[in-house]
Amino acid sequence: MSRPAVAPGAQIAGLAHAPPAAVDLPPSIAIHDLTMRFGAGTAGAVLAVDNVSLSLAPGEFVSLVGPSGCGKTTILNLLTGLLKDEAEGDVRVLGKPPHEGNPDIAYMLARDSLLPWRTALDNAAFGMEVRGLPKRERDSRARDLLQQVGLGDFADKFPKALSHGMRQRCALARTFALDSPVLLMDEPFGALDAQTKLTLEDLLMQLWSAHRKTVVFVTHDLAEAIALSDRVIVMSARPGRIVADVPIDLPRPRDVRKLQTDHRFHDLYARLWRLLEQGASAHD
Amino acid sequence: MIKPFRITLGHVVFIVALVALWEFLGARGVIDPTFAGRPSGIASYLWRGFITDRNLWNDLSYTIAAAAIAFVGGSLTAILAGLLFTMLPGLHRACEPYLSLLNAMPRIALVPLFLLWFGLGIGSKIAVAISLTFFIVLAATVAGIRGVNSDHLVLSRALGASPGQIFFKVTLPSAVPVIFSGLRLGLVYALLGVVGAELIAAEHGLGQVLAYLQSTFDMDGVMALLLLLALLGLSITVAMNWLEKKLLVWQ
Ligand SMILES: Nc1ncnc2c1ncn2[C@@H]1O[C@H](COP(=O)(O)OP(=O)(O)OP(=O)(O)O)[C@@H](O)[C@H]1O
Ligand SMILES: [Mg+2]
Repeated sequence: MSRPAVAPGAQIAGLAHAPPAAVDLPPSIAIHDLTMRFGAGTAGAVLAVDNVSLSLAPGEFVSLVGPSGCGKTTILNLLTGLLKDEAEGDVRVLGKPPHEGNPDIAYMLARDSLLPWRTALDNAAFGMEVRGLPKRERDSRARDLLQQVGLGDFADKFPKALSHGMRQRCALARTFALDSPVLLMDEPFGALDAQTKLTLEDLLMQLWSAHRKTVVFVTHDLAEAIALSDRVIVMSARPGRIVADVPIDLPRPRDVRKLQTDHRFHDLYARLWRLLEQGASAHD
Repeated sequence: MIKPFRITLGHVVFIVALVALWEFLGARGVIDPTFAGRPSGIASYLWRGFITDRNLWNDLSYTIAAAAIAFVGGSLTAILAGLLFTMLPGLHRACEPYLSLLNAMPRIALVPLFLLWFGLGIGSKIAVAISLTFFIVLAATVAGIRGVNSDHLVLSRALGASPGQIFFKVTLPSAVPVIFSGLRLGLVYALLGVVGAELIAAEHGLGQVLAYLQSTFDMDGVMALLLLLALLGLSITVAMNWLEKKLLVWQ
């Protein structure tokens, strides 16, 4: 590779901090002038996303924040190919246009969406199962992932026997058990209490460091966005536009709990908060 | 906490006391056995029916067989129709008004018609029972399949599941509890339909025996039959509960 030599240990930080243009690999996700109108041509047409351009380098962790209804979920659904409606602009995931069931993408939702009739193990293996991995392979991988998220002893339990946090751990296991290089997360910890949330954010950071995926992370929680991300994209109220693209230059690896008392963290929080407020009031 | 054993003992004592009181008051003429029967009479009727004369076995098996055939046939066709309707919503919309009309009709009123069509044999009561079970299980199947969690669908599609995989791995399993409660109700109604049809006219069956006993004013026999039908209904419920526990451990 033509990348200049860097000191060991600095490499992850170097990759994470470099703006995407400076990274010599082609972007994992490239969104160019994306405009999305629901019910285009009808009387009730809704302009959901307005002229959004965004690019993510491989292995980058980018958060999307913005007021409710600004089109965050819509952008994720366009990336997965779940939304078939005509969108203007160009969207590429690993250089390819979006298509439903793209094996390059793993998706995680706000609610745990575990299948209640499957054990934790079978839930963790679900993604691999629909992608046709042989049973032995997916079971051993699912077991491994359950171990990593701290659910090793709960493999045979049904979701009803798991707490909220444990269910979301299981969903993390299901997501990271897939070898997809791109990970889309739609408010995955939105329904959790503050303490559980911090624990799971830490867990996500560990998994992400180990698996190195490109992540688009949608959240309402600025603190969460700052703690996890390389960049935070601030969107305006509907129609969603990008009002700011803020690099988060906190060193990695990060300890989410320690960050809560770090003054740089609070400075970033204040800055993002102002941007978000400006974006929210810009249109109504 | 009261121990389960003490509870059972309490029930036994209560029932024995009640039966003894009934027998005693019947013997003294306070409760007229012509209208209420007497425990000893009921017991001797059942003894004759099942042990000495053995005539009740035949009628019992006719009733159970008819209910079972109606339940299996009605439920299977209902589940298949439900699946078809969810796959072809247009067909469902087209059939909906007719199904609603049929379902709104008091089904027991069909007995005279079915008697003309299928005769006094087992066919008529099966037809009545199916007309009840079918609609119950159909409604449950459609509701169960429609009730699938949309998050599960979005997630499965995003992960690349095919329509077939989504149906068999997500939609169908999620519908099972609702379909099952439909089946439970459908079985109870199958028995109702069979006994109802037998009461009106039939060659064999507990309902027919009951109608005969009533017409001959054999009150011990009537009470014995009611007890028998209650026990039959109860064992259906117990069996379905047991099956549900086995089948739906995850709930
Ligand atoms: N299928 C659809 N048909 C019509 N309009 C839609 C559809 N999906 C979303 N919208 C509209 O598009 C806008 C953006 O929706 P989206 O779900 O992307 O917002 P969001 O940023 O994810 O909001 P939240 O933070 O509340 O989840 C909303 O105004 C919504 O009403
Ligand atoms: Mg959303």
